[in-house]
This record gives sequence, C-alpha cells and structure tokens, in this order.
Amino acid sequence: MFFVSELIALLCVNLIFTQALGTSTLLVAARNKTNFVAIAATITVFTTFGTMGAFFIDKIVPSERDYWLLICYVAVIAVIYIASLFILNLISKKFFEKCKLYIHLSAFNCAVLGSVFTVHNKSLGYDDFGFGDYAFFGFQSGIGFVLAALILMAANKNLNSSKVPASFRGFPAMLVYIGIISMAVYSLK
Amino acid sequence: MQHKIKQERFIRMDIFITLLALEIMAYFYYGFRAVMIAGLCIIVSFVCEYFSIIAMKKKFTADDIGCITDGFIIALMMPPSVDYKIPVIACIFMNIAGKNIFGGRKNIIFSPAAVGYLFALTSWEKQILEYPNPFAKTELFDGSQKLVHSASYVFNTTGKLSITDYDIIMGNFAGPMGTVSILLLLITSFVLLFRRDISVGAFVGFIVGTLFMGLIAPVGENTFESLKYLIATNMTIYAAVFIVSDTRTAPRKLHFAFFYGIFIALTSYILLLTTGIENPAVIIAVLFAPVSLGFKNLENKIDKLIAEENAEAEAVEAIVTETRKLSNEISEEYEKSQEQISDIANEAIEEINRIDEMPEENMGSEIEIADKNVCDESDEEINSNIDDVNNQGDDLNKQD
Amino acid sequence: MISPVIMCGNNIQNAFALIYAFSIITLLSVAVASFIPKKLPYAIKITAYAVISSFIYIPIRVLSSEIYPDSIENIGIYFPLLAVNSLIVYQTEVRFFKLSRLNMLTNLVFYIFGFDVVILITAFIREMFGSGTINSNVVDIDFIVSGISQPFGGFILLGLMCGLYRKIRAISANEKNNTEVK
Repeated sequence: MFFVSELIALLCVNLIFTQALGTSTLLVAARNKTNFVAIAATITVFTTFGTMGAFFIDKIVPSERDYWLLICYVAVIAVIYIASLFILNLISKKFFEKCKLYIHLSAFNCAVLGSVFTVHNKSLGYDDFGFGDYAFFGFQSGIGFVLAALILMAANKNLNSSKVPASFRGFPAMLVYIGIISMAVYSLK
Repeated sequence: MQHKIKQERFIRMDIFITLLALEIMAYFYYGFRAVMIAGLCIIVSFVCEYFSIIAMKKKFTADDIGCITDGFIIALMMPPSVDYKIPVIACIFMNIAGKNIFGGRKNIIFSPAAVGYLFALTSWEKQILEYPNPFAKTELFDGSQKLVHSASYVFNTTGKLSITDYDIIMGNFAGPMGTVSILLLLITSFVLLFRRDISVGAFVGFIVGTLFMGLIAPVGENTFESLKYLIATNMTIYAAVFIVSDTRTAPRKLHFAFFYGIFIALTSYILLLTTGIENPAVIIAVLFAPVSLGFKNLENKIDKLIAEENAEAEAVEAIVTETRKLSNEISEEYEKSQEQISDIANEAIEEINRIDEMPEENMGSEIEIADKNVCDESDEEINSNIDDVNNQGDDLNKQD
Repeated sequence: MISPVIMCGNNIQNAFALIYAFSIITLLSVAVASFIPKKLPYAIKITAYAVISSFIYIPIRVLSSEIYPDSIENIGIYFPLLAVNSLIVYQTEVRFFKLSRLNMLTNLVFYIFGFDVVILITAFIREMFGSGTINSNVVDIDFIVSGISQPFGGFILLGLMCGLYRKIRAISANEKNNTEVK
C-alpha cells in the first residue's frame, strides 16, 4: 500500500508529466534498453549531485540577484560533467568509451537544469529546506525520469508500428502518448 | 482470420446492446435529454471515425462501426445536465487523439472512452462532476437546474451514505446517468462474461482486488456497508465491464489480465482512500495502459518462444519420421535380399543334391556337356568382339 | 526546447517573451561560440557553449524584466532553460559549426524563425480556445476548452501540429514529384 501510494506521489511530482522537463532526452532514452539503462543512470546521478551543488549555490547567491543562478548552476553541472568523465576514464577506458555519449547527452539538458531550478523554487517556500531535502529531491527527479522512460518504452513498439499513420509515426505519436499520460496524472491532483 | 473479424464485430454489437439497456434506464430517470446525449455521441463518433479512416486512406468496414460503442460508453458516463458540446468534444478527442493517431482499432493503446472522459473531466470538471437527482426531468435544451454532488463524492469524503438497498439496486441516486443502475450492470456483466465479449481475467481481477481492498481497509466504519457502497459508487462495475475489461486493451492471457485487473483495483482503491477522488478506476485505467502494453509485449515474447519451440519440435519430429521411414525401407530391402539369398541357396542346394543323386558314369558326360556349352558361348562372344573391333578399324581407315 | 513551448506557450504574451529571449540568446550564443577553437575536447567545448549562453542570458534577463515583467514571472524556470537549449549546446557541434560562418548564421536564423512560428501558432490556438482571449483581449468564443492550456494540452497539440506539418510536407513533396514526372 505504501509502495503504491509512493508511486502515485512520484507520478504526481514527475518533472516530465507535470512540467515537461527533459522530454527530448526521454525520447532518446525510450528508444532501446541500452539507452534506457545508461541515460536513466546518468540522469539520476546528475540530478542528485546537481541539486546537492545547488544547495551551496543557493546559500551564496542572494534571491534578488537570481539571474546569476543560471551561470552558477551551469558551473556546478560542468564540474559534475567533467569529473564524471575523468573518473570513468580512470576506472576503465573501455567503459568510458561506452558511456561517454550518454554522459554528454545527460549533462546540459532540461531534465537536470530543470530539477535544479525546481528545487531552488521549492526551497524558497520552506525555512528548513536542508541539504538532505535537496539531495532527495534530485534523486526523486531521477527516479521520476526512469519511471517516465519506462512508461514511454512500453509503448515504443506500438508508437513506431506500421499501423500508425506515417505522418504521426514516432515523435508526434510519442508526444500525444505523453500528453494523454500527463492528462491522467493531471486529473489525479 | 474471417472468424476473428466476425468476432470483433459481434463483440461490439453485444456491448452496444447492453449499453442500450443502460440507456433505457437513463431515459427512465432523466428523460429525453439522456437519449439526446447518447445519440449525439454515437453520431459524432461515427462521423469522426469515418473521416479518420478516409484520411488514413483505408477502407471503412463493418468492424469500424464498433467506434459507436466508445461514444455510447462516454455518453453514459456524463451527467444528464451536461452541455451538449462537452460530450461532442470528448468524442472528437477520443476518436482523434485517443485512437486514430495511434492507428485506429488495430493498434489501440488506451481505452478510447476513458481518454475521452478524462479530457472532459480535466477541461470541465465542475460540469462533469455535478449531477441532477433522478426523476428531476431535465429540459432538452436547458440543462440548468439544481445540481448536487454524486453519491461517490459523499461516500469518498465521509465514508457514509444513506441510500436504501432497493435504490442502490435500481440506481436511484445521483451519479453519471448510465453507471448507477447496479442490477442492470450486474446482468450486463454476466451476459458479456458469458459471451466472452470482455476480458474475464481483467474483470475478475478488478472485482476481486476491489473487494479485497474494501475488506482489509474499509472506507467507512462498517465493512459490509463500505463494500456495498464501494461497488455501487465510483463507476466501479461500469468501469470494470466497459473500460478495464475491454478486450482491445487488456492483456490476452487470463493470468496476465487477472493481475492487470488487480493492479488497477489496488491503485484505484488507494487513490480513493488517500485523495477521495471520484471514479479513480477510469483514471488509473489510462495510467495503466503502459502496464497492459508491457504484459502484451511479454505475451508476444512468450508466444514467439513457444512458436520457436514448436517449430523445433516439429523439425525434430520430421527428421525422426524420415529416419523411421528410411530404416523401414532398409529393413524391407534387407528382408528381400535375405529371401533372394535363401532362394539362391536353396536352388544351389537342390542342384547339388540333384548332382549328388546322379549315377557316377553320367556325371562325367554331364560335366563335359556343361563345359562344352560354356566354351561355345565364350567362343561366340570372342568372335563377335573381334568382328566389332575390325568394323571399328575399317571405319577409322575410311575416315582417314 | 519543447518544455517552454508546452508549459509557457499558452498565451501570446508569454510567446512573445519566449521568442524574444530565445532568438537573441541563441543567435548571440552560437555566433560567439563559433569562435571557440574546434580542436578543444568535445566536453570542454559544450561546457564553454553553455557558459557563454549563461553569460548572455544575464543582460537579456535584466532587460526582459523591464520589457515583459508579467511574462517573466509566468515563464519562471523556463526562461533560464531556454539559455541552455539544444540548439546552442548540441546542434552547434552536429550541424552549425560544420558550415561556413555565413551559411551557419543563415541556417541559424531559419531555425530560430521556425521555433518562433511554432510557439506563436501554439500560443495563439491555446490562448483562443483555452482562455477565450487573443493577446489578453476577450474574443467571442462561447465555449472554452481549458484542458488545451494545460501542459497535457500542450503535448497533445504539439503532437497533432507536428503530424499535420509532416502530412502537408508529404503531400507537397508528392505533388512536386508528380509535376516533375509530367
């Protein structure tokens, strides 16, 4: 019962279905199993560490000068990006060659930056929004992305099937599919 | 194949007839407006389907008329006081975005009626979730009258309801016009189950799951009362029959369909308990479309594996049969040759015996005669060979 | 790039603010980024592009607060997200920097124009049918479909528009082929 209610909650705060963040990356992730596993893992790492970094940025940047936030967040993500590439290269060159494409794809996208900005906005509403809350939100965003990718992957075959009219096959059908799921999530609220 | 096409056509026809029965009840309670809404939904669904099929450059067949049942299902989920434009737009949306964009009836992803209803719900929530009381006859072109919350709303928020059992069975309480006639819905579900027009696994799974959850965590204080109202409200039976158990969306295999039904029931019930949302099964049916697709993918993989295994077994069996056939032929040949050998041996034995039985003085002349015959035959053969060689030599000389 | 259209492209005012921000930031960022040496490692290059666009975002954002004060509040987090759009971060490497500078700028202008047209059409439809207004002026539409101005409405409308656009392109391509054959 707890698991199901958590799942519903996860859907309700899902960045893709409620805020359309990271839709393009989601479409790439849902193409096949390899893409799904690699992108889901890297996005989760980036959102978790990104929001952790955002905690410190939010402490430094005053709220009236929020236009500085973007460059600071980009700097944080750039550090995570370069560091992850460097660490992977150190661990195994073969694994690095396999994963670098996904890391490139996951670094600067709406899913990661969107979750960082969302957690910033959320923190403004609470006085005691601590480091743990930031990290948890980032992790939750990553898991939300995984869930959304799974939902899209289940229908990938049907949406690219020859039965779908040629002009709607692929991307347009996927958008409508996400729209209908998003509509169901919206009606849960 | 022909059988399958016919079956689909008849399934939709059976469903249409059962919906017609519910529509008659709706007419009885709410007057001609209920008929008008249903008629509009049916016409709009048909027109949309027709033009979509034309746009897709496909041929409109009798199976495509099944779309009118989806329009009918939407109509019966509406309050009788609803603005006519709402069900019309819901039907257009259902046909275009919920169905034909994905390829129509051959590639159904979501329950079309659930998608249409959800669109109406999210766009005109207030109009969709407020209902007139039964017998408060609605005017054909004026839906304005006293509207109340549905029995589902009262039950979900308070856990209590004060409706008599007779009224529950007859559907004499505020709610969507075709979803409250519980007795009729039960009969409908049995008819459709008996005729195999709906997914048995999904239906049973959904009902069992709902009852189980209602038993372990009742909405109100009294478990039996809670169960009773749970079944009567929130479109539980209607959604179970026409949305969850739709054979186009539910998994094919019985056990998968059962689990699919249970999952929807479990999630809807938890949603009902935690948020008090009305008609959660319809929303969850749309949200669980990926689960159903996952099950279907799994079914396809299993079928493929079984087909491969069967093909392998058939190939092995063919080889075994061929080998058996060959070995039979060989043994027959062997027996024949054995018979021949034994015949020759018998003849030889007879010959030897015959020679043995001869008097000794005749034996020499017999042998001489035999030798002479053999020598004559050999001489003739040698002479003919020599003649052939001479002829060939002459031919060659002539050619030179 | 899809998310701002889906989330904020539900009225024309927002659309104008998005068009203004997207066009200027993208054009300037790609133009400046084209001077970054091509020999640098890929990761360093795309980080540099993101940093450049983040810097360009700052004055644009300050200016936007003066020009579109209400829209900036409505757009919220999608304004900074426009600054790190895929056209700047990824398409630069894949497409633009493989062309000569003049070609690149021409191509880029057409890309930006395409995005602007899409967001404007989407916003027009969504505002008219979702709120019953056009650029905040009430129009005589007696039936409002509020769902169309919600995020899910954005997804569905964008999907439908994309499919229709493909259909029109396919039809025109067919006609072109037919006339060539004749």
